[in-house]
Amino acid sequence: MIDIPVQPHGKQSPGKREGAAPVWWIVFTRELVDLWVWGKALVLILLFSLLLSIMAYMLASNSELNLIPPKEMVFLTLQTSIAVSLFIAVIIGADTISGERERATLESLLLTPASRRQIVVGKFLAAASPWPAAMAITIPYLHVLAQGDPVFGQGVLWGVILGTLLVPAFAGFGVLVSLWSRSNKTSLTVSLVVYLLFLLPTQFPGNAQTGTMGRFVKRINPMESINQVLQKVLVNNRTIDEMQSFLLAPVVFLLIVLGLLFLYAAPRLNLDGGTSMLSRLRWSRLAQTILAASLLSLPALHSGLAEETAAREEAAETEALPLQIAVDMEHRVIKDGKSVYFNTKVTNGGTEASPPLILAMNIINVDSEGDVVDPEDWSPVRTQYIDELAPGGSASHAWRIDPIIEGDYAAYIVVIPEPESAEATTHPIASPAIHLTVERFVRINPGGVLPYAIGAPIVLLVGIALVYRLRYRKT
Amino acid sequence: MSHGSVAVEPGSSAHVLVAEDLSKSYGSRRALLGLSFSLRAGRILGFLGPNGAGKTTSIRILTTILEPSSGYFVVDGIHSRHPERIRQRIGALPESLGFHRQMTGLECLTFFGRLYGRPAAAATAHGMELLREVGLENRAKSSVGSYSRGMRQRLGIARALVNDPVVVFLDEPTLGLDPRGQQELLALVRCLARERGVGIVLCSHALAEIESVCDDVVILNAGQVVATGTVAEVLGNVQGQSAKRNAVRIQIVGSQIETARQVLEALPSTGDIAPVNGNAGWLRVELLDPTKALPSRHLNNEILNALIRAEIPILAFEAEGGRLHDVFLQLTEETIQ
Repeated sequence: MIDIPVQPHGKQSPGKREGAAPVWWIVFTRELVDLWVWGKALVLILLFSLLLSIMAYMLASNSELNLIPPKEMVFLTLQTSIAVSLFIAVIIGADTISGERERATLESLLLTPASRRQIVVGKFLAAASPWPAAMAITIPYLHVLAQGDPVFGQGVLWGVILGTLLVPAFAGFGVLVSLWSRSNKTSLTVSLVVYLLFLLPTQFPGNAQTGTMGRFVKRINPMESINQVLQKVLVNNRTIDEMQSFLLAPVVFLLIVLGLLFLYAAPRLNLDGGTSMLSRLRWSRLAQTILAASLLSLPALHSGLAEETAAREEAAETEALPLQIAVDMEHRVIKDGKSVYFNTKVTNGGTEASPPLILAMNIINVDSEGDVVDPEDWSPVRTQYIDELAPGGSASHAWRIDPIIEGDYAAYIVVIPEPESAEATTHPIASPAIHLTVERFVRINPGGVLPYAIGAPIVLLVGIALVYRLRYRKT
Repeated sequence: MSHGSVAVEPGSSAHVLVAEDLSKSYGSRRALLGLSFSLRAGRILGFLGPNGAGKTTSIRILTTILEPSSGYFVVDGIHSRHPERIRQRIGALPESLGFHRQMTGLECLTFFGRLYGRPAAAATAHGMELLREVGLENRAKSSVGSYSRGMRQRLGIARALVNDPVVVFLDEPTLGLDPRGQQELLALVRCLARERGVGIVLCSHALAEIESVCDDVVILNAGQVVATGTVAEVLGNVQGQSAKRNAVRIQIVGSQIETARQVLEALPSTGDIAPVNGNAGWLRVELLDPTKALPSRHLNNEILNALIRAEIPILAFEAEGGRLHDVFLQLTEETIQ
C-alpha cells in the first residue's frame, strides 16, 4: 500500500473564485448567447409575434363589428400570450440538459468543480428568458386592442404578475424532465404531453367546465386558474381579493417544481440522466400514449356533450293562442359590418287578454353548408317583452341586426307566451322570415392594429437577419 | 508497481494519483473489481483493456463523474470524498467530447476558465496561452465548428489543462486522427508530461501508441487488473511466465520466403515454421525446448546467422511476446491468429 498524505478537507484550490463571477451567472450568460444568438429563441419569438399579430387582427376585425369589448380582447390576447410563452418555456427547458447530453457537451461541464445546482440555476433562468421578451412584444398589442380603456394598465400588470408566476414553473418543469431524461426526444415528448394535459381542460366546451368536476379541474390546473383570475379581474371587474383562491394552484405548482428541481434533482445532475426509479419507466412511450389518448378523446367529449344538450331540449306540447306577428321587411342585401333595422308588430286577435309575451330573435343560415349563427354575435338585443296584450290590441318593436359573416340568412322573431306554471308549456308563434343576403365588407386596418400586426414580426425578422449576418461573419 | 499495492521508490517524484481497491457494480453486474494503481507526477500511464473491460468506468470514477461502489482514490492529496476539490486538480479529455460548435476556441477556453474560478480577463489570457501551447493560436477566433478532428482534440487537451491540473485523463485522444495527427498529438502529450510535470492517464486501444509514449501501464480485463507496472516490467513478467510463447517472427522479402523457410527448417533448434496470417512476408518460427537448450537469445542469434549466411535480407525480427500487443492479447486470453 502507498502511504500518501491525505489532506483532511482537501487542498485549497489556488485563486478559487476570487474576483470571478458566480457559476450560475457564467452558465446563464453562456446559455443566453446559445439561445438567442445561435439557438431557437429568436425563431420561437418571431412565431409568437406572428401568432399574436393574426389574433390581434382578427379580434380587432370583430371589434369593428362591436362584437368583442376591449376588455375581452385584452384578456384573450393575454391568455394567448401566456399560453404560448409557457409552451416556449417548456420546450426550451426540455432541451437544456438532455440536449447537452446528446451533443456530448455535458461531460466537460460536469468535470468542472462548478456546483451542479448553480449550473441548473443558470440553465433554468435562460429557459425562462423568452418570457420578458414575449411580454414586451405583447404590450403594444394590448395597448391597441384596449382602445383607450383603463383595462390596458390592469392587463399589463396582471399579465406580468401571473405570467411571471407560471412561466418559471413550466420552464422549471421542462428542465426537471430534461435532467432526468436520457434522450432529448423523451424529454421533449414528456414535457409537451404534460403541457397539453394542462392546456386541454382550458379548451373544453363550457358545459364541461361547470359542475363539480369542472370546477375542481379549474382550481387544480394552474393554467386554468390563471385564466380564471385574468378573466374575472379584467373582464368581470372582480377584485384580486375575490380571486385569491385561484392563485393557490399556480403558486403550489411553482413551489413544487422549483423545490424538486433545485433541492432534489439539481445536486444529483449526472451524465446519464434518470434516477434508478424513473429510468425504469418507459417515459417516452407513456407520454406518447397519453398524448394520443388525449387527442382522441376530444371529439368524443364534444359529441357526448352535444347529446346531453339535445336530451335536455325535448319538445313540449303547446297550446295555441290567437296571436299574430308581422314584420315590415321581406328581404335585404347588405355588407357585413353594416346594420339592418326593422320593426315587428304583434297583434292579439283573440277575445281575451294575452299572458305576458316574450319576443325572441332568431337567425339561421339558409345554406346548409354555411356557418351556424350565434344571435348573440349578430344583435345587441335579442329578446324583448310585452306585459300583456288586450283583445284586438297590438305592440310594435324595433330590431337591429349587425351581420358579421357573408352568406344567405333568414331572420325571424318568435312570440312566446309566458308559461302559466312550472308544469305548463307554451306555443311560440313565428313571424315571416326576412331574407338577408350579406356581402363581404373588407376593412384593411381594423382598430388601427395593422401597423402593429405587421410591424412587430417585421422588426423581429430584421433583428434575426442581423443576428444571422453576425453569425455568418463569425464562422 | 504491483497489483493491489505499490512500492514507493525512494527519491522518486510524488504520487499524484493513487487508486485503492476501486469497484463499481451496476445492479448485479460488476463493471470494475479491485482497481489499484498509482501514478507519479510527470509520468504517463497507459490504460489498456478490450471493449467492456471497465476502462471508461474507471476513468469516469477517477474523474468523479461516477461514484465507486467501494474503494477510494486520492488526487494530489485530496481524498475522493471531496469530488468538487478533486475536479479542481484534474483535467480530462473524454472519448466523446462535444463542443458548442458556434463558440470560438478562445471563447470555449475562457468559458471553462471562468467556471474554474478565473476572472474573465484572466481566463481569456490563459486560454490564449493554452491555445499557443497546443498549436492553435492562429485559429483562436475561429468557431470550433470549422476545426478539423485533430484540432478539436488539441482544443480538448487545452480544455483539460485550463485549470493547471496535476493529473490529466485522456480517453482515446488519437481516435479518428490520421497518422500525422496521431504523432503530433502524442508528441504533445509527451511534452505535457515532461514540461508541465503533469501525471497523465492515457486510455487507448492503439497498443503501439501506448508502448511508445507510456512509462507505466495498467491492463484491465473483465473489470479486473491483469497487469500493472512499467511497460518493461509488464513485458518482462509476461515473457518470463510464458514458455509457450517462445517463438520469433521474422519479416523477409516476399520472394525469399520459401528459401528462408528451408534454411530455418535445417536448423536443429527450430520447430514449426509457418507464415503469419494476414501479414505477408512474415514467418513465425517456434524455438524447440527452450528450457533445456541454450538461452533463447542464443537461439535467436543462431537463426539470424543462418539467414545472413544464406544472404536472405531480413526486414524485421522480433521475439513473440516482446511487444505490448502480444502481452495484451495473451493477458486478455485472445489468440494471435
